[in-house]
Formats: sequence, structure tokens, C-alpha cells
Amino acid sequence: MKFTLSWLRNFVSLEGITPTQLADKLTMLGLEVDAVEELYTELDAFITCRVQSVSKHPNADKLTVCLVETGEGEPLEVVCGAPNVRAGLITALARPGVKLPDGTKIKKSKVRGLLSQGMLCSASELGLSSDHSGIMELDPAMEIGLPLATALGLRDTMIEVDLTPNRPDCASVLGIAREVAGFSKQQLSSPVSRLTPLNGSEVDFKVVVEDEGLCPRYIARKVSGVTVGPSPDWMQRQLLAVGMRPINNIVDVTNYVMLEMGQPLHAFDFATIRGKEIVVRSPRAGEKEFVTLDGNSRQLSEEMLMICDQEGPIAVAGVMGGLDSEVSDQTTEVLLEAACFDAVSIRRTARNLNIPSEASYRFERGVDPDLAHRAIERAAELIAKYGQGTAEADGIDVYPGKKELLNLQLRADKVRTLLGIEISKLEMADYLRGIDFEVSPDLGETMQVTVPSFRIDIEREVDLVEEIARLVGYNEIPTTQPKITMHYPKRDSLRSMRQTLSQILTSQGFYEAINYSFVTEKHFDALGLAEDDQRRSVTRLLNPLSEEQAVMRSMLLPGLLENIKRNINFQQSDIRLFEIGKTFFYREEGQLPLEKQQLCGVICGNRYPNAESLYFSDDRADFFDIKGVCQHLITTLRLSGDQGELTLVPCDQDSCQSYCDPSASEEIRNGDEVIGIFGMLDRRVLEAFGIKVDVFLLEIDLDSLSRLPVIAKQFQSLPKFPSVKRDIALLVPDHVPSGEILQAIHQQKQKLVESTQLFDVYRGKPIEEGLKSVALSVTYRSATKTLNDKSVDKVHQKIVDSLMTQFKARYREGSEL
Amino acid sequence: MEKELQRLKEEAEKELEQICEAQHLEPFRVKYLGRKGGLLSGAMKQLRTVSKEDRPRLGALANSIKQEIESLFEAKKETLSLPVASARSLDTSLPGRTLPEGKLHPVTQVMEEICSIFEGLGFAVAEGPDVETDYYNFEALNIPPHHPARDMHDTFYVTDSILLRTHTSPMQARIMENQDPPLRYIAPGKVYRCDSDITHTPMFHQVEGFLVDRDVSFADLKGVLTSFTHNMFGKELDLRFRPSFFPFTEPSAEVDIACVICEGKGCRVCKRTGWLEILGSGLIDPEVMKMVGYDPDVYSGFAFGLGVERIAMLKYGIDDIRMYYENDLRFLSQF
Repeated sequence: MKFTLSWLRNFVSLEGITPTQLADKLTMLGLEVDAVEELYTELDAFITCRVQSVSKHPNADKLTVCLVETGEGEPLEVVCGAPNVRAGLITALARPGVKLPDGTKIKKSKVRGLLSQGMLCSASELGLSSDHSGIMELDPAMEIGLPLATALGLRDTMIEVDLTPNRPDCASVLGIAREVAGFSKQQLSSPVSRLTPLNGSEVDFKVVVEDEGLCPRYIARKVSGVTVGPSPDWMQRQLLAVGMRPINNIVDVTNYVMLEMGQPLHAFDFATIRGKEIVVRSPRAGEKEFVTLDGNSRQLSEEMLMICDQEGPIAVAGVMGGLDSEVSDQTTEVLLEAACFDAVSIRRTARNLNIPSEASYRFERGVDPDLAHRAIERAAELIAKYGQGTAEADGIDVYPGKKELLNLQLRADKVRTLLGIEISKLEMADYLRGIDFEVSPDLGETMQVTVPSFRIDIEREVDLVEEIARLVGYNEIPTTQPKITMHYPKRDSLRSMRQTLSQILTSQGFYEAINYSFVTEKHFDALGLAEDDQRRSVTRLLNPLSEEQAVMRSMLLPGLLENIKRNINFQQSDIRLFEIGKTFFYREEGQLPLEKQQLCGVICGNRYPNAESLYFSDDRADFFDIKGVCQHLITTLRLSGDQGELTLVPCDQDSCQSYCDPSASEEIRNGDEVIGIFGMLDRRVLEAFGIKVDVFLLEIDLDSLSRLPVIAKQFQSLPKFPSVKRDIALLVPDHVPSGEILQAIHQQKQKLVESTQLFDVYRGKPIEEGLKSVALSVTYRSATKTLNDKSVDKVHQKIVDSLMTQFKARYREGSEL
Repeated sequence: MEKELQRLKEEAEKELEQICEAQHLEPFRVKYLGRKGGLLSGAMKQLRTVSKEDRPRLGALANSIKQEIESLFEAKKETLSLPVASARSLDTSLPGRTLPEGKLHPVTQVMEEICSIFEGLGFAVAEGPDVETDYYNFEALNIPPHHPARDMHDTFYVTDSILLRTHTSPMQARIMENQDPPLRYIAPGKVYRCDSDITHTPMFHQVEGFLVDRDVSFADLKGVLTSFTHNMFGKELDLRFRPSFFPFTEPSAEVDIACVICEGKGCRVCKRTGWLEILGSGLIDPEVMKMVGYDPDVYSGFAFGLGVERIAMLKYGIDDIRMYYENDLRFLSQF
């Protein structure tokens, strides 16, 4: 909602209030000021001047050379082509360097051989009106050298308020003025001094409201003998200042009164109304299309409300008029409409037709039905005055929805406890009366308050409490702490697990990513998901912003792959990213999707992201980096399986996720249940995402993870006796998984074995093909004594022997260990 | 024999002294200390050939020489493992060495900070579904169909009655429906609105909170939110409560802080007002209370909601909201 201060001053005095103070005050009353803009500042570049003398231009018939006084310095020589230029004329001067509103820059330049030191301007060149017949003719008594905005009395400020939906009463200059009058304790002036009674007896037209529910009030009044032309300059300026384009004196008045009073109005060309009858009704079968005044053809539907004449629709009620009944240059009789329509119906219609208009904006939020009579009086008066016509002495007022004013009970104590302030009943009453509420004079503990008709947002006691709060001023209300019983808040275990996981991952060099929850389905093909993969049953948006964001994600990986691509494009190629977030799985029609939390991490590039080679190697990260992250997560979270430990099992060629390389991926299992996967991404998938380097991923279902048992922390007493370490180097067939050798040692359950460690795996010369060398160490310790060589040797030999048989191994010769 | 041992010792010491690159250490070790064929090991073996009475003395000597060379060797090895191959001077101007560590997303950092302030005030954290019903997102919050307030929420729909939540306030209705007062909860999470430009992304994060009990007043709301703002932005910062409108609170208030960019003087970020809006709040509307079966004459409460991205922008001076979801490491590593 925009208004100018000059317009506001018509109804309330602004003496002693600066525009900034006014803006602050309105904001603190709940009318948030979005902008305070000084108007006509562009006119300050132009000044008033007097033409001292005029002589003919020696080289051009239609040009004159003028000497122009500006009140300072020597008179300037200006070449002018205007027919009305004459000595003694006070007019507007643009000096060199000044820009006209159309962008033209004025320069000192030669016109037909003579130097011109500026330009004398017409009103149209200054954007002040459409008059371009000659240069401006100002008051002969006017001082010269004045900035033009001052000279023309155009100093003004435009204020824009961002109205909340509950305050349609302030969608008008008068509504704002009422609030100002309230806080500055003034009387509000009204633009309408007397109301013409509308009896409907002396009119030559009829009004029928068929759907009274959707049209609580309809007033029509005729103005005859009008001449359609431009509206007065002041009205055009006000409309322009608030962003409305002037059209003609009739349409401008309807807009002006709407902005001033809040009542949307419409003007019909009476001559076009067939049968001289207005019918407010829904479109009949067969009335499918309608051309609105913007020239567009609109599809009508049954639930819309139309203004019709005897033969068919002439306007979409409360939204937009029709092309055929529009006021034109030939119009002599105008039928004015001031009506009130149902908010929901107007909102639906404006939405369906996609025509948001100033009128529908107001109707959707609610227009005071009591306002129509005063508004049509004001409009009829202005049209009669500026269209040289006569407002007819009668009109029709159909008012089926007339309501009694609402009476509310206000408990003084409720006000005090809800707001937490001390305030007397008299103060409460004063605040409410200041904004036109009536409060019954006997101020009992419960007060009787009558709500003015324009405050359609006030329906309950608590609404009155809010009025008092905002009039008192929110900042005057004290600051206290609630008195509430202490209790320890419940903790959400999944949330704590997410926090721990994030900490572990950041400590492992991962940055957290957050991607949009909506993605494109195309990713599923790129990832090679099977047609019947559960992740393809997605939750789809009805109104996505684009196909790229059309479905709710069922996995996190695609987002992270996009992030990798972007980072590589921006020369960040050593990447560790993770995301913890929701994935969504369609269940069935009418049900909310299943939301599951997932963790996904990706690694690519160097092991030490951006590490200086001064200290760290620039080795590429590989499978074991992601495996390490996974193992680290499990041990740090102290997770165990439901039966025994969680196991990491190499992926099966057939059951492996389509986007993983089965030869370099493992599954995390809790018994038979797969709760996650990690390993190398399939290169074809990477190619589909435009990534040319290897990427390793970790994907875990957090809901499964959070259900796993946690191994309690249990102190183990520190060993009292030293340990003995023995190394073994074996040559085993290439296909034997080294991890199994370690497992085999533990499976023997030798009492003295404390731990085992692999420290070298080697293939290649001098070892013969088909074999590899696996070097490991076993640590032995006894809880009761210091071990001697003999007892260790015995156990160690047993272990070595069994490994030899189990893995068809033999000693590696020549190894110096 | 004794001379032989002394000569070996001097030679080894001299050779070790001259080594200044780590690659020469291993050949040295093999030459002198190697178990098979090392010169010192060789000398030890020769002890078998000397007379019985000389053997203990020479044996002890050989052992001490071997230990001495070993310890000199270890010391040398240590010196050479220093960053630059100068054993004599440590260039302390070189950068320090740390293992690379990642960081949480700035939105998570700020969200955790917000949550921990409220947790400190005794609020519990609850999370609800991102895909919500129209009932919890709108109707239970006193926003019936065709209410103009729905204009403030550009909603993504899944079906006519299922949508992406436009705020985390649905948790208010969900919790109140199942629990009796006193209640203190905050609900952090993602919310969605179909809007995308330099100041809007179609997904962002909110923290909604509410408190319900007997005799909770607007002054209490001011107290709790003032505590929060002071902890989040510092005590010196001016703040103000300003009337506003939300269908699920009455009276409603917006909280502004003095612009952190221009310190209240007026700049582009605060639209020359000197104030920045940081959260919306109000006393819970009696209609919302009635819908979950609370008697508004017995209980009252307040609710508030804040946009995490906006607060992160103000705290860190981020000027383009879209950067949050590009996950550019150059961005993520700054916070």
C-alpha cells in the first residue's frame, strides 16, 4: 500500500512529525513501512528563469535566441523553438549537464551555428503532464533561480506500507489517516460531507442480486452528461506517485477513490448495458468465455461471480471489468458500481483467472460493506466535477448482507494477565476509543466494546487485547521470565547420533554438505537403478519449480556427485563431503511418504585434501580410505550387531548396488541385514555425472544404525607383564584374502595371543607369480607371568603350522625380519 | 684384535658423521650393523678365535662399541628425519603440520547454536516430517483454505491435502495434540516454499519453538526471546518488538535487531531502516489451543519461529542465499 504525505494531509494533520518519525510510528503500530521515498527530487536539477529578450535566430526561421536570467551571473544565451517564448516569461530552464526524465542529457551545443547554454522546457519534457504545446508558463510573480519542485509546490514523500493480511482497513489513505489520528489524538476529516439517500425510485435502470451470499451489497449510481478527457493534474500526480497509470477522468476517479477510501469501484459505459439492468450472478451454461478490459479472453467457470446485463456478463465481479462495457471517449453516461463481494469467492476467481488486481487484493482481504455508500458519493461528486456531468439524485442500494455491529466483552484482567502489564480500565477504553471503537461508559471488570464496521479483523476478545498491546506499544511491555516447573528435556537419540556422526566425519576431514530435498528422476537411470528398485517409487511434487527439482529424493548420493562435479570445475579436486539427511519413499495414495535418515559420504582426489606436499604425500585416496572411515565410525560409536559384531562383507557381483564397483566394495551387515555399503563407484556412473576421477562412497541407513546395540564402556586393567612380538612372513596363493589369515589366527583361540597386525603385503619380483607375501606380527602376553621364549615359541609354531596347512602357505625365504 | 675393534669404531664414527642424507643410512647400517655380513657382527664372530682369558674383556669391548655405534646411528636417523636436511638449524618459519579436518555446514552450525541456547533454557527438541498434511501445516494453525495468509506461503503440493511443510510450526499442533502442558519445545528442520531468487531458495531451515503453561504472558515471550537474542548476537545489540500478523498467534510480534551491518545507521541490507527482522512470534491463538483441546482460559503460551539462513547471513555477512546449497568447498571451509 502506497500513499503520499500530501494525500494523507487531506484527512489528518502531520504537523511536527517528520516523514521518518511517521514511518517509525506506523511500523511500531504494525503497519510496517517498507520504503520512504522523496518525490520529484529529479526536478531539483531544473530552475525557474526569466526570459529577458528574444531575437530571431539568424540561420533558422522557427528558432529564436533568448537571453535568460537565472538570478545569478550573466544572463545565458539559449536557443529556443517554442512558439510561446516571449520577453518577461517565467519558465523552466535545464542547464548544461542536466538530464531530462526521458534520459536526454542537456549539453552546451551549437544550434544552427549559435551556441545554446541550456534549454527552456515544456511540462511534457519534464514529465509533469502531457502538455507539449510550448514551454512552461509559470506565475509571472515567481522568484527566479528556484528549484522547480519548490517553485511548483511539489515537495512530497511517498510511503509504502507492507500490509499484513489482517488489516485491509489500512489499504487506503483514509485507513492510514485513522491510525495517525489515533496516536496523535486528532479528529479525522472525512472526504464526504453528506450522503445522497439511495431509494431506487427515480432511476432508469434495475439491479438484481441473484447470489446474495456472494454479494452482500451492491450500489449503482449514474452520472450523466460527462465529457471523457484527462483527469486534473493533481489527481494524475497522486496516481503516478503510487504507481498507477492515469487513463481518463472517469477511470482515474474510480482508482483515486479506491486508493483514498479502500472501496473498489467500477465505471460502466451506461449505453452498453443491455436492457438497462445489472444482474449479479454466476455464469450460465454456455457462458464460457469473457473478454476483460485488458483485451484477454478468459475462461469462465460456474463458481465465479459475474456482473451481467440482461444478455450476459459485463464484468468479473470484484476482479476486472469487461472490454465491451468499458468507458470510452464516446461515453456520456456512466454507471458507477460500489459493491461488496465474498472474500473467498473473489480470491478463488482471481487465482483461477490469474488476474491479481488492486480491487481483488482488497476484496480478498475484506471490504467494509458500510463503506460503499460513502465511496460512491465521493466518486460521483468527483466525476461530476471533473467530467462536467451531473450525478443523478438517486441510485440503487441492494444490501442483503447488512449486519449489526459486533459487540465484544473485554475482561480487564484478561488484558493484564495476557500482556503481563499493569493498565487501568480507563486507559484501555481510551486506547480503543482513539481508533473508533465504542466502549460502554460503565467501565466494569468486563467492558462492553463495539467494533467499528471497518475492522473486520476484530472478532474476539483476544483481538482487542492485541489492539491494546499495539497501542500501548510492544516496547512498553516489561520483560519477564516465565514461571515454569523445571524438568529435564527429553533427548532425541537419532538427533544425538547425527551430531556424533557429524563430529566424527569432520574430524576425518569431511565437510558437511546440504543439498535440496528435491531432485530429478533422471539420476536413477544414471545410477543404473533397476526398474523395480524401491528408490524409484518417489514422492512427486504437483508444482515443482523445474524438472530438475520435481521429486523428493530417495538417496543422497546424486546431490553429492553434483557437488563433486561443481567443486572439480572450480579447481577443488581433493574432496571429502558428507550429508546426513532425509530420504523419502512413496507409500500409498493419501499417505505421507516414509521418511528415512541417511548418511552418505564421498571421497575423491588426494588422501590429504589440499595438503602441502612439504609434509604429506600426494597419494590418491583409495578404497581403504573409505573403509577406514567406516570402521572408525563403527568403533567410535561402539556399535555392535544384534548377534555378534557388525561384519564387513565383500559385495556380491549380483547383489551389489548398481552404482558400486563390486570388485572394490563391501557391505556393512548386522547379521543378514545390510545397513550400508562402501567402496568405489562404478566408472560408468561417474561418467554419467560428468566426473572423470575415481570416487569412493559410504552410504548408511541411519534408522538401522540407530537401532544397533552399543557396546558399553568397560575398563580393562592394564597388563602387568610385558608382551612378546613375533613376526611371520608367508607366501600364500594370490587369491587368499589377507584378512582371513588374521581371522584364522583368532579363530584358534590361543590364550596367549593378544593381538595381530598385518604389516606388509607384497606381490612381484622376486616372488613367483600366483603368490604373494603376507607379513604379519602376533603379540603374545600372559596375565600371570612374564613369557619366556620357550612358551612363546610353542604357541607361535602351532599358529604358523596351522596357517601353512590352511592356506597352503610356505615361509618366505631370504626375508630379513 | 683390540686395535682392529678400535679402528672399526673410528671408521664407523667418521662415516656416520659424513652422512647427511637419509638415503645413505641403510647402506651404513647393512655395512656395520647388519646381522649377516655386517663388519661389527663379523668382528663379534671372530671372538670365538681369541684366547679364553681375553674373550670376556674383548667381548665386552665389542659389545660396547656396537651399542655406541647403534646409538649414534639412531641419533643420526632422528636428525635426518627433520623437515629440511639440515641437521644443524631448524627452520621454524615453516608452516605447522596438522591433519586436515572438515567443518559443519554453516546452516548446521547456526542451527545447533540456536538449539543449544533454547536447550539451555529447558526446551526439548522435536523433529517432524518434511512432507506434511495440509491439516497440520495450515488448518490446525488457524489458516483455513482460501485464507489470504496462505499467500505468505508459496506452497509445494504433493496432492491436494499433502504438501511440503512451509514452516516447522506443524510440530506445535502435533505435540500439543498428544501432550498436556506444561510444554517447552523447539522444532528445527527444513521447510519449503516455491520461490527462488537472490534472497529466496525453495528450501531453507527454520527453528520453531513454543511454550505452554498457566499464566504465560506477552512479557514472558519478550523475556525468553530477549535472552535468546542476547545470547545469539550479544548483549549490546538493540532489539525491538513490533506488531505483526500470523494467523496462529494473537497478539503477534516480529523481533528486530539493530542492523549488524551498519549498526543502526541505515544501509541496503536493512533497507535503510536500521533494523533487521530476525524472528516472528506471538501468544498462541486461542483457536489453535481449542483445536487441540486446551482451554484458552486455563492455559496460555507463546510460539516463535526463526529462519536459520537469515541469521547465518547476518552473523557471517553472506550476501547470496543460493550459495548455501552449492556446497562449494571454498564456501564451506570459511565457517
